[in-house]
Amino acid sequence: MTGLCVLLVDDEREFTTALTKVLRRRGFEVTVAEGGEAALERIAERSFDAVVLDVKMPGRDGLDVLSEIKQRSPATEVILLTGHRSVVDERDGLRTGAAAYLLKPHPIPDLVARIEAAAVRSRAARGGGGA
Amino acid sequence: MPGHPAGDYRRLRRSLVLRMALVSVIPLLVVSAANSWLFFRLNRAIVVDQHALSLRHQREALEQFLAAREAELRAITERYTVAELRGGELDRVFRVIRQQPEVLSDIGVIDSRGDHVQYVGPFDLAGRNYRDAPWFAEVVERGVYVSDVFLGYRGVPHFVIAVLRREAGDFWILRATVSADYFERLVNVSRSGRTGETFIVNEAGLYQTKGAHGRLLEPAGLGKPAWHEGTRVGEEEIGGTRYLVTTTWLGHPRWLLVYRQELGDVFAPLFDASLLGIGIWLLGAVGAVVLALAVARRQVRRIRQADQEKDAMAQRLVATGRVAAVGEMSAGLAHEINNPLATIDTLRTWIQDLGGARSIPEEDRQEILESAGKIGEQVARCKVITQGLLKFSRRVDAQPERIDVEAFLGELCAVARARARVDGVALDTEFDKLPPFECTPAHLQQIVMNVVNNALDATAGRPGARVVVSSRLEGGRVVLRVRDNGPGIPRENLTRIFQPFFTTKPVGRGTGLGLAICYGLVQELGGTIAVDSAAGGGTTFTIALPQRAPDAGRSTP
Ligand SMILES: Nc1ncnc2c1ncn2[C@@H]1O[C@H](COP(=O)(O)OP(=O)(O)OP(=O)(O)O)[C@@H](O)[C@H]1O
Ligand SMILES: [Mg+2]
Repeated sequence: MTGLCVLLVDDEREFTTALTKVLRRRGFEVTVAEGGEAALERIAERSFDAVVLDVKMPGRDGLDVLSEIKQRSPATEVILLTGHRSVVDERDGLRTGAAAYLLKPHPIPDLVARIEAAAVRSRAARGGGGA
Repeated sequence: MPGHPAGDYRRLRRSLVLRMALVSVIPLLVVSAANSWLFFRLNRAIVVDQHALSLRHQREALEQFLAAREAELRAITERYTVAELRGGELDRVFRVIRQQPEVLSDIGVIDSRGDHVQYVGPFDLAGRNYRDAPWFAEVVERGVYVSDVFLGYRGVPHFVIAVLRREAGDFWILRATVSADYFERLVNVSRSGRTGETFIVNEAGLYQTKGAHGRLLEPAGLGKPAWHEGTRVGEEEIGGTRYLVTTTWLGHPRWLLVYRQELGDVFAPLFDASLLGIGIWLLGAVGAVVLALAVARRQVRRIRQADQEKDAMAQRLVATGRVAAVGEMSAGLAHEINNPLATIDTLRTWIQDLGGARSIPEEDRQEILESAGKIGEQVARCKVITQGLLKFSRRVDAQPERIDVEAFLGELCAVARARARVDGVALDTEFDKLPPFECTPAHLQQIVMNVVNNALDATAGRPGARVVVSSRLEGGRVVLRVRDNGPGIPRENLTRIFQPFFTTKPVGRGTGLGLAICYGLVQELGGTIAVDSAAGGGTTFTIALPQRAPDAGRSTP
């Protein structure tokens, strides 16, 4: 099985940089998008096994991007990761099909585990093939 | 929410009453005492003056009476010769001058040999000889004589007035007897009070008139009175009773006119007045005390009310304004901090990843891994705070449900009891059976747990530590109480405990957000939270919630 493909969407560049390093070291293939627009562009270019999505971003926000992704490729698993917990966001996010709603700073080992689980599920749903 | 123990107010009231009573009663007492004293002195002076004046008037009247009698006799001696009087004129003259029969009881002519040569009167005195009587010598020497009262030959008290008439180288004497009865009445006219009496004593101190109580010619209890000018007033004790004695000497004869009255009697009206005065004073004092009581009570009630209002206001201010503002702010703050925290934590993981590399010397590797671990701990600590802040923010969106309070609280308390057991605290419950009420379970849980945890924190490890959680329906609201017997909350902290970040617990143990969160949530639910505590007296938190949840309209962003 080739490396699991993960798209990190967050306007916090330091965070995505650090997380990219950590994930790559664990064998993930990582792409970064700095906002909602960029994320949708990347998704249009290729498919990902998992997307880690910040909820609060300038431009198109996380929930918006989430529903777009779910429309285009329902099998892609999305993990919402936010610095600002909102019960409403959590409810809406989960209803729209997010795999999890996590609050920053979420313990990295658990985050990695969840990303991996989501990516594996996603790949299985799409018939075990990469892009 | 009384911030002051009730004893404070009781003490305040007592000292107020005492002070006000003293302040009003003492001047009253001083003024009354001064008044009475002045009044008494003035009154005594007036009484004494009155006695002296009336006695002087009486003396003048008596002197005039005696002078008139003497003048009458002298006029007769000058008008008639002794021969005429002896020839029958005396009879006629006597009838004219005696006027009222009581004044003069008889009249007589005595010749120079002392023989009673002519007599008109009820007794048979003609022919008696007075040559050796002391008065005879005196009248010869002085020309006029007034005797003391005596019984004489007749055995009836009387005194005589005699005048001498020189005629043709010889002399004769006209002598009249004044009835003691009449004189008595003349003297003892001015009586006042119960015991007042006027009487006359002679130089030997014997009654000349008997006054109200005396007996003629017996000692009057004044000894041998000494001569003095004018009128004299003094107090004297006779037979165990004190008297006010007013005296004045008549010129001639040497008689002392005495007005005597028991002191108690003299001042009886004064004592009556004093009694009335004391009555009025007592009434005034009682009035002052009652007034002091009433005023103090009102004052203390006002102070208490003001205190309560101040406390309540302070709390409301803190609670509404600041808590809300801080709530908004802290939500933003948490977000701003959570992002860097996430970065830090991710970088920590990266460092840990790299730190395991073989190329790094063993010791350094240990150090790196250990430091990365510590960074992780600190991040976790920050996370607790930021999550507290987020909970505190008012953006809470859970839906209300119908809750069976008893069951719900029972579950929470069961959880809390596990911790209570460790802390050595007895956690008791007193739940009334309540109809289900509408509330957001997550909120209710958070509220109850925060307050219960505080109570456990406050009592942990104390002997006899006890926390009681109760629920009941009061005035259509569900009222939850968490009562503990911990050290209580000092008054100065009472208004601050609902402020975010106010804590008295050591760093790492308390964030000071618990009650602030409770406050926000209780407001969200349309209820109130209040604390009742005194330093040293345990603490009770009372949370009152409406039975129906308010519209949850604002929860949608
Ligand atoms: N039952 C109580 N008895 C005595 N003091 C209390 C009680 N409840 C609260 N307090 C006081 O109020 C302060 C604020 O309480 P609060 O719950 O807001 O914060 P905390 O308990 O210190 O921290 P946190 O709840 O965030 O862990 C406490 O530090 C304590 O001093
Ligand atoms: Mg607390």
